[in-house]
Amino acid sequence: MGKPKFYDFCVHAVPDGEDTAEQLAALARYFGYSGIALANHSDKLPQSRPVLPSCNEFEVFRGIELVEENPSKLQGLIGKFRKSVDVLIVHGGSENVNRAALENPRVDILNHPAFDKSSGLNQVLAKAAAENNVAIGLTLRPLLHTRGPRRVRLLSDLRANLDLARKYDVSLVLSSGAMSCFDLRSPMEALALAEVCGLEEEEALEAMTTTPENIISRNRPGPGRVREGIEVLEEGDYF
Amino acid sequence: MKRLLPSLRAKKRYLAFELISEGPVGRSDLVKEVMYAASSLLGDVTASECDIKVLGFEDWKGIIQCSHTKVKETRASLATLTRVSGKRATLHVLGTSGTVKRATEKFLQNQTVFEPEISMKSETAEE
Repeated sequence: MGKPKFYDFCVHAVPDGEDTAEQLAALARYFGYSGIALANHSDKLPQSRPVLPSCNEFEVFRGIELVEENPSKLQGLIGKFRKSVDVLIVHGGSENVNRAALENPRVDILNHPAFDKSSGLNQVLAKAAAENNVAIGLTLRPLLHTRGPRRVRLLSDLRANLDLARKYDVSLVLSSGAMSCFDLRSPMEALALAEVCGLEEEEALEAMTTTPENIISRNRPGPGRVREGIEVLEEGDYF
Repeated sequence: MKRLLPSLRAKKRYLAFELISEGPVGRSDLVKEVMYAASSLLGDVTASECDIKVLGFEDWKGIIQCSHTKVKETRASLATLTRVSGKRATLHVLGTSGTVKRATEKFLQNQTVFEPEISMKSETAEE
């Protein structure tokens, strides 16, 4: 097995965050990531489609984090953006939004599912997430910036969601949720923090390497793909 | 006092790190923040087991000592460092080693000066 490729799937650039995509990409590359996904919140999108910086062995994916309180409007937004982005994240935060996101197979990741007094998931939603292959996003930024009782709360929510995810085999994605360069952490630090917060070593590694890779390969069909389930693997004369 | 026998001394790991920050940061402020971050994430009991010490910090780089069984916990607590004396900062661990000498040779000398460029860029962006 070669060196694992790490991805950070929730990074906010200007005008949502503070730093430009180039700066975030350069720092992430320096830290040893193989790719990041720029996922600005849908209410703070730049005027024009940003030109993504690209260099060899480092990829910047196009993503979006949808913020919408109304589930039916959320479905509309998913339909609108699905084709133009590689990673579609839904910013959860209420029972209806979480449910709408987890029951839609076109969504890739649900971030911040917790709302008042609840971790945001239950057995019904966890089952739906596993069926529709929607990953639960764990973001580091809130864990870094809070101290004391608020962080205790975040960690216990995380643990509750983790238990459900393990039981129903829901995939997890570990991302920084960075708003600026100073929120990015190197992969090793992110792994260490995740392990201290209750993830197993393999789970944390998978959440930063294979799960993001699977999301990308799902959303970027190969050249031979005809439709869902049908793919031309090798061109040639068969008859 | 008689020095402890080498076989009885606690085993240690040395983490070479660099600090990425908005502005210049003093050593004592960094030490304070590191200890505070560790005790708030891990609790005082585990933080004391980690045996964290900032051995040196100069020119954005330095070495932190910790117990050899608690490298993971130490790295996690270093990751939660967000501000040093009011300036936003990130502590990036370059690597770990069993001796100070090796950590210095391997990670702190001949470092490509890539980082200042980025942090300067982000400073100008904020202004």
